[in-house]
Parts: sequence; C-alpha cells; structure tokens
Amino acid sequence: MKPAAFAYDDPRELDEALTLLAREDEDVKVLAGGQSLVPLLNFRLARPDRLVDLNRVEQLGYLRREGDVLRIGALARHADLERSAEVAGGWPLLAQAACFVGHPQIRARGTVCGSVAHADPAAELPVALAALDARFHVRSVRGSRVLSADELFLGYFTTALEPDELLVEIEVPAPPAGSGSAFVEHARTHGDFALAGAAAIAAGAEARMALLAAGPVPVRARAAEALLASGASFAEAADAAVAELGLAGEDADWRRALLRELVLRALEEAGA
Amino acid sequence: MTRRIVVEINGRPHEAEVEGRLLLSDFIRHTAGLHGTHVGCEQGVCGACTVQLEGAPVRSCLLLAVQADGRSLRTVESLAPAGAEGLHPIQAAFQETHALQCGFCTPGFLMTVDAFLREQPEPSTAEIREALAGNLCRCTGYKAIIEAVELAAERLRRP
Amino acid sequence: MSWVGRSVPRREDVRFLRGEATYLDDIELPGLLEGAFVRSPFAHAQLGAVDASAARRLPGVVAVLTGSDLDAEALPVGGVEGGVVAAAGHPVLARKKVRYAGEAVALVVAESRAVAEDAAELVNVDYEPLEPVLDPRTAASAPLLHDDVAENALLRWSRVHGNVDGAFAAATAVVGQSFHIPRLVAAPIETRGAIARRDPAGDVLTVWCSAQDPHRPLAQLGHSLRRDRDRLRVVVPDVGGAFGSKGAVGAEVAAVAAAAVELGVPIRWTEDRTENFLSSYQGRGLDADVELALASDGRILGLRAVLYADLGGYLYPTTAVAPHTTAMLLSGTYRIPAVSVEIFGAATTKVPTGPYRGAGRPEAALLIERMVDLAALELELDPIEVRRRNFVPPDAFPYETPLGWTYDSGSFERCLDAVLELGEIDRLREERDRARAEGRVVGIGVGMYVERAGGLWESAEVRLEPDGRVVVRTGSSPHGQGHETTFAQIVADELGVDPAAVELVWGDTREVPPGVGTFASRSVAMGGSALVTAARRLTASGGREASARFESGLVFASGAYLAVVEIDPGTGRLRVCSVAAVDDSGRIVNPLLAEGQVLGATVQGLGQCLVEEAIHDEEGQLRTSSLADYSLLTAAELPAIESRFVETPSPLNPLGSKGIGEGGAIATPAAVANAVADALAPFGVRHVDPPFTEAKLWRLLQGGAA
Repeated sequence: MKPAAFAYDDPRELDEALTLLAREDEDVKVLAGGQSLVPLLNFRLARPDRLVDLNRVEQLGYLRREGDVLRIGALARHADLERSAEVAGGWPLLAQAACFVGHPQIRARGTVCGSVAHADPAAELPVALAALDARFHVRSVRGSRVLSADELFLGYFTTALEPDELLVEIEVPAPPAGSGSAFVEHARTHGDFALAGAAAIAAGAEARMALLAAGPVPVRARAAEALLASGASFAEAADAAVAELGLAGEDADWRRALLRELVLRALEEAGA
Repeated sequence: MTRRIVVEINGRPHEAEVEGRLLLSDFIRHTAGLHGTHVGCEQGVCGACTVQLEGAPVRSCLLLAVQADGRSLRTVESLAPAGAEGLHPIQAAFQETHALQCGFCTPGFLMTVDAFLREQPEPSTAEIREALAGNLCRCTGYKAIIEAVELAAERLRRP
Repeated sequence: MSWVGRSVPRREDVRFLRGEATYLDDIELPGLLEGAFVRSPFAHAQLGAVDASAARRLPGVVAVLTGSDLDAEALPVGGVEGGVVAAAGHPVLARKKVRYAGEAVALVVAESRAVAEDAAELVNVDYEPLEPVLDPRTAASAPLLHDDVAENALLRWSRVHGNVDGAFAAATAVVGQSFHIPRLVAAPIETRGAIARRDPAGDVLTVWCSAQDPHRPLAQLGHSLRRDRDRLRVVVPDVGGAFGSKGAVGAEVAAVAAAAVELGVPIRWTEDRTENFLSSYQGRGLDADVELALASDGRILGLRAVLYADLGGYLYPTTAVAPHTTAMLLSGTYRIPAVSVEIFGAATTKVPTGPYRGAGRPEAALLIERMVDLAALELELDPIEVRRRNFVPPDAFPYETPLGWTYDSGSFERCLDAVLELGEIDRLREERDRARAEGRVVGIGVGMYVERAGGLWESAEVRLEPDGRVVVRTGSSPHGQGHETTFAQIVADELGVDPAAVELVWGDTREVPPGVGTFASRSVAMGGSALVTAARRLTASGGREASARFESGLVFASGAYLAVVEIDPGTGRLRVCSVAAVDDSGRIVNPLLAEGQVLGATVQGLGQCLVEEAIHDEEGQLRTSSLADYSLLTAAELPAIESRFVETPSPLNPLGSKGIGEGGAIATPAAVANAVADALAPFGVRHVDPPFTEAKLWRLLQGGAA
C-alpha cells in the first residue's frame, strides 16, 4: 500500500509551518510522529495535497516543568513521557497512560500532541489529559487560543482545531497533592487498540475519572466524581460512571460491564 | 515532487533523489539496496520493518525517506561483525535457542532487542515479553525468542 | 554416534540472522516492472466494461490488462477421492462476474508500485451488484454464483459405513451439537508474491514465486498458461512463512505470469497486507451438525455428521482438501463401528478457502473431541474415562477406519497418559476445585488428535563431489522448517559424513528432480525417506551419485493436549493458563526443531481460540482486513506450554517418521474448547464456538446467549 502523491515541506520555524497550514487552496495535513497519519496515507484513507512535517521545528521539541505546570511541546514523544523524571514525580498518570500506547517503536516516534489532535477515542493520552484538566494551546496565523478538553474533543477523530490551526503545547496543571493515579485498559492483545479503559486520580474522597473508548470523545465521569465526593463507595462511583453512557451496538452490555470493571480497578489502584 | 536526500545507514551515506511519498522502508530496501529490513504490513503493526533511528527502534514503514535526510540509521546488517561469518551475541543466542524459523520477522526482532538490551541490560521475563510485543512472529510461538533474549542479556553482561 | 535424534542448531540461520536471505521482494532484475491489481469492491456482481483509458495515460504506466487480454485458462480444480467437485476454477482475472470482494479484475503494470496503484484508482469498472451469498447452510437455495453449478454445490461427498440407523436405534443416549468454525487468515509475515520473466530465446518463462514448493506452481501455472517443463521454470527463493496459504498459486500469480508473456517484460507483484487479507485463500470455515449414538458405558456406537463448508467463490486446486480431510478424520482416535458423514461444500461470495495449518484436521479434532466431552456430560461419566473406552487399541494397527483411511501406527492411550502426567492432572483438578469454591471460573480440557501426513511420493538425488561435499537435490522445500539442517542430519547418518559437508539444493525446477511438495507435514517422512533411499542406493552401488523416488501411503501422527483456562467474570476475558502437549510423530530427527514446530503451531491454535476470526458483513465485505482488526497473538499473551514426544515409529518409511508441523494447531483448539466448556458447565452452558471472545463469554456467564 503506497501513499498517493503529496507535496512535502519540512519547515524549521513555527511561523513557517503556520503559514503553510493557512493555505486555502490545498488540503494540508500536519506530520509529527506519523504513527497514526502514515498508516492512513499508506491505506490511501488520507490523501492530503500537502504534508507539513514539524519534526525540524526545534522550538517545538520540549517537555518541561514550569512551577507546578507541565508543558508538553508539539514534538514531545510518548517515550519522553515514559522516561521523564519530572513526569514520574509530578504527573505519573501520563507515564502510566503512555505505557499502553502501542509498542516501544510507536512510542519512540508518536507525539502526545499528535495523539490529541488525531482524537481517536481509543487513544490513551487524551483520556489521561482530560482527567488532569489539561489545557490545549492552539496557534494559527490568525492568533492563538486555549481550549479545555471538553472544548477540544468534539467527536470521533474530530477536534475543534480549524484546518489552519496547530496544537503547539499542552499545559498540564499538577494533580492534587498526595493523590495517587492509575490507568487501566483492556485490549485484545498487548498494544492493540483499546476496547475500553479508565484513568483515575484519587486523593481521599476526591477523585477524577476519565473513560477510554466509551464514546466518541474522552468521557469525564463528573456525576460519578460528585457521588464519590459526597461519600459513595468506589463501586457505586463505578456504577454511576457507566450509567450515563449511551453505548450502542450488540456488545453494549458487555462494554458497559467492562468499563465499569475497569473504572473500579482504576479507582482501587489509584486510591491504594 | 522530488528532493535530494542523504541518509546515513550503518555508517555509510546513501544519496538519492526521492519522491516525498517514498517510505523509508522502501528507501532502505530498494534505493540503498539493504534487503535485511523486511516489509510485512505497512501499517505499523507487525514490526518486521523495525530499524534504529539514532538508537531508537522505529517502524521504517511509518517514516518517509525524506524525514531521514541528514539523519543516521542502523539496520540489521550492522549487527554482525564486519567481514567473515560472525554473529553478534544476540544473533548467536537466536540461533542457539531456535528463535527463528522462516526468518522474515527476525531482523525486526533483532533491532528491537538490540535497542532494548542497551536500555535494559537486566530485564525480567515479564519486561522482555512486553518489549517484544511490538514484533509479530507467526512461526516460533515466541518462547524461543524470549529465551534468546534472556540468554543474550546474560552474555552481554559478562562478555 | 547418530545425528538423527540430536538437537542440532540450524546452520542456515546465519544468513537469516545477518539479513542476507533472499525473499521474493529482495530479488532485483534489470528492467523489472511492478504490478498492482484493480479489485472488485463488491462481493457479487456482473462485471461490465472496464475503462482503463485514463489509467493508461498516466506517466510510468506500461499496460493495463483485463481477463480478455490474457491468454490464460482458469487455474485447475483439485478433486478429492469419492467427491464430486464443480468445474469452478479460479479465473486468472475476472470475466463477466466477480464472486468475492477483492477479486482481481485488472492488472496494472508500471514503473513502480506507487504509480501502479495510482493508475489502478483511475480504472473505471462497471459493476451490476448482485445479492451476496454468505451462509453455507442456506447457499443451496440462494442465488447461484455459477450458472452451471446447481444449488451452489462446489463439493459433494458422503460416506456411510456400518448400520448407522441401527446404532442410533439401539443407543442408550444420543448427543447432538451444531458447530460453527469460523474462517481464519493464515497471515504469514511475508505476504505472497511472484516475478515472471520470459526469455525469448527458447520461449522459457521463469516464475519466481513465494511458494511452499516449486512443483505445484509448475503444474498449476503450466495448466493455466499451457506450458510444460521445457518452457516453464519455477524458482522458489527464501519464503517468509506460508502455513498452507502458499501451496496453490493465487490467480494473481498466473495473471502476472501471463502478462509477462503478453507484454514481453519482467513483472513483479509483491502482495501487500490488505491484498493478503482480501485475496489470499482463507482457512477453515465450517458449519457442522454432529450426533453420537452412545451405549450406557460411554462407548460410541455410531456417528452422524453433516458438514457445510464455506468454500468461497471458486475452487482453488486444494479448496476441497480440508473439508474432505475433516470428514475422513471425524472418528478421531476412536473405534466407531457405524458412521455416516456428508459434506456440502457451498459456493459463497467470499474469497476461496484452502489449506491452513491443520487443513481440516483441526476441525475434525474440535468436532469429535467436543462430542466426546458432551457424551461424557450426558452420561455423567469422566470424559477421560470415556476416551479410554473408545480408543483404537495398540494391537489394532494398521487400523482401517470406517471412513476409509488406514492408520499405520499409534499409541493413543499412551499419549493421553503422557499428557495427564505432563500436565499433572490430579493437581490440576484439585486446584480447579479449590478455585471454583472461591468463585473463580476455571476449566480443564483434553483434546486428542490424529493427523494424516506424508503420502504420495517424493524424490531425492545424492551426489558425492570430489571435494568431499555431498550435494543433495530434494523435491521438498523449506519455508521455516529447517530442512537444510534436518536433511543434512539424515544424510550424515546414512553416509557417515559430517552434516556440515552436506549441501541442500531445492526450490528450482531446473535444479531439482520432480517432486510433490511441502505441505501436510510430509517433508521428513517423504522427503527425508527419499533421501535415505537415495543414500542407501549410493552406498550399495559404490558410485558417486544416486537418485530415488520414495512412495508411501499416508502416515498418521497423533497426540494428546491438555489445556487449563480461567475466565474473568468481570470482563469475560479468557486466559489460557497452560497447555501441555504430547505429540507422537514417530521418530524425531531434530528435537529442537520439532519442539519449535509444536510451539509455533500451538500459538497459532491459541490464536484461533482467543482472537482470530475472519468476519464478513452482510454485504460480503471482509471487516477484518488489516492487522489492526485481525489480531495476532504477541509474546505478551504466551501461556506456559510444555511439550513432550512419544515416538511410535511408522512402519511405512525407513525413518519411521510421521509429521510434526501441524499437531499444535490441530489439538490446541480442541483442548481449549473443552476447557472452556468445562469452565462454563457449572453455569449451565453446554457449548461455545471459537473464538472465545470476552463479549461472548461474559454474556454466557450472565446467563444470556453467546
């Protein structure tokens, strides 16, 4: 399977990249890690006129802590999250989620921002970032804006990003002091696309839960979070987390049970 | 639309005029003429095309050749000592435990294992199994490959 | 000191490890062009006009060919003994009709694969879609795929032996069960491929082919292109796995070969992974209704079965083989006096099926082994005891089964005892009972198997070179099995030389004697025996070279597998905790390599239990058409597998060998299926079809239907 032809640019500066993205006469796609995009190109399911390769825009290659905020640049790879001492110390959920992303070879190239922009509901990092109340910094030639997870993720493989916009940074506030976290997932085989999953951050009765592959976008289980805060058990919270999901299809009852099971396990692991 | 690129593979530069859409796996195999790297799926799942990009194991079917311009790769051909018939300790371990049958997935495994053991010289069996999960083998059933990695790790620690 | 029986590491590994092997896509030839196919998006349609004008204008495109441009006949149809097969051979390129989504309609030849794919997209084809035919049980009353194949019956076969009605009338109990065994994809890591080049001088067409042997491509291409050995040469390079799927050449190979003749240029087709899913023949695909008539002590008095095979749109040369083998082995390791088995091989609007590791034997093992466990359940007897009461006893060999094959030798009860010991059955049962008391869902299952191997003939030539090398030319062909090493061991023993002195030549019809090929686990039994015969002739004659053709009836390997499983009630996930494997393949030449075959085959068998299933939707589209949808097991899923060999030699060949390549794929699904049924029995579940997916098991545990 070979891609259809496209024009290719590899700018060195962010402004150059943004200008290329702003071209109105062409369908332009961003190439960062390529782990999601290149298979689509190979299958000819994606046929952009032009590819803008970000990999030589050095200013985007960072993963750093500033005070109690983590800043993930557009070229930060999943492997960087796995290896970073700062992430391990301050944002362990991100490293826990990253472990489940495909395989080491995928994690060596795939970027966190790329995964977010791709918005696969079975992707791990969007869910972990939703649980962490991350903020998404978007730039274009027209200016910049900052979005929450709810504002960014709109549907299956659909974000609020306009064709000329680039996700340049993800800003992640520190989770509550003393909290534990966990990421659990269920896939047919190791590294396969997740069929269901859950991220949890727990500090006493305070918890946050986000569900993976439970709908078109990462699902923050806010009703369940409120229930927990008012004294409910983990089991009751897990029930609540899946109760509102509008799951459809012939396996819906199993998927609901599976998600419930995973939420419970994530809460127990995070709370431990 | 073509571009002139220079890619260093196993220490030697390979220069060519290539289309933007040429996959790195095809560049390695047909432009540079290094056939040890194999193509199994072109969707990043099977791992047969695994090479090392500046030390990191990557799927060469998911990289464009133009992305490797000015960069340095290692393929399976770099493992064995130059000249004669020798084998790298990882390769020797694979032979001893019968960790290959048809051999098609093997170069991909070798590149993954080489990078893995450099990063984790004393892996547990569970860690090995996880590290290998990104390379598919349809012939061996994996047991011999896991044993080969354990054997190679041991040998590399005590040369 | 004997070489046969020793675990010698493979000497051929060096070139594979160094990346110096030559697989099909590694071959470079001057002026080589690349081919890509235009394929039908519809499962069933009338094929109208093909407009390739835009495609032909694309720079870099050399030609676009359709069925009417190629001087080639459909590939031959293979029959089976006692069966009637329809004349529905696979056309080289579709004419008038397409019968599966993905069927090749046109071939684009261009300077590069990318350009060929660009051009393929520009070819406009008129299709008039027809209704898909998907279920072999109802295909007889569905729209016809072939006008001259009534009731969509591509294959009919039946056999009755003994007084079946009487057996069922006299039975204390009758158990019946319906089964659905889904189609599978062989999925070797190297896809198929071929290169064809015609040399005008002498009009010799050379075809390099990623195939299991050169002989069948020679015969099949020779039939299709009407060329004999003088004008057709087949060369098989290193092959990256096949598992049965590269035994018969695909229509695409014949198309490329015919195109090379037509255009006078060398052409390569390297199948991509999507094509491999869509157009490489699939394995299994069987629905069955089976009944056993039982005496009160568990003896099986009679067997009735109707098998509905989901054969696909055409008959490849070997499509009829697997269902026929299933029928022939349906009595398994048991003595059943009366049998009635019928096969209805249905045409369906899917890619054809063909042999895939086990090729009918896994289906047979699954059916009979599940039935035996169901019989035990019905009669409230121990399933292991029921087996003992029905085994063909050691003194009954050679044993002619009621279905018509003669088992040469076997020690079925000994294999069972060995696996119970290897798996520590008493400890397992205790652990299971304790686990159940804790509310865990655990099961133990046994699967016996018989597999037919060998058969037909094979050839070898042995020559002593002046420099001390022994050059062996064999009709067998390796694609991962290690022939270079095992055959060297065999010759080393016969001639008293070091295996390092033995060189194997294979794969090129110009260089090797005619042979039959590598499939049905036959290489050691047949190819190895041909070698022994040739070597003995050499020694007896005192000359420098000798050749031999070794012929034999079928040999029958067998074994017993034991599986332990646990199901997580919260998620429905099936965990195979362990598999104990006892295989009786007669004399083992190289235990290291033999164990490798068992482990590899067992993991493929596990794949079909856990995750593998080729799924077609109601339009006949293959939903599982990439490695992201059709999961293959990874190293992370591997359970503990213990392997042991029992060696009951075959009297039918000088090595006493049977075959080892497929046992794991045959017995594992049967053992796991019985273990799953055992785990679910306390919940009132009687039977589950594979694959044992989470959703299926979870629903059963909730009290619902699978």
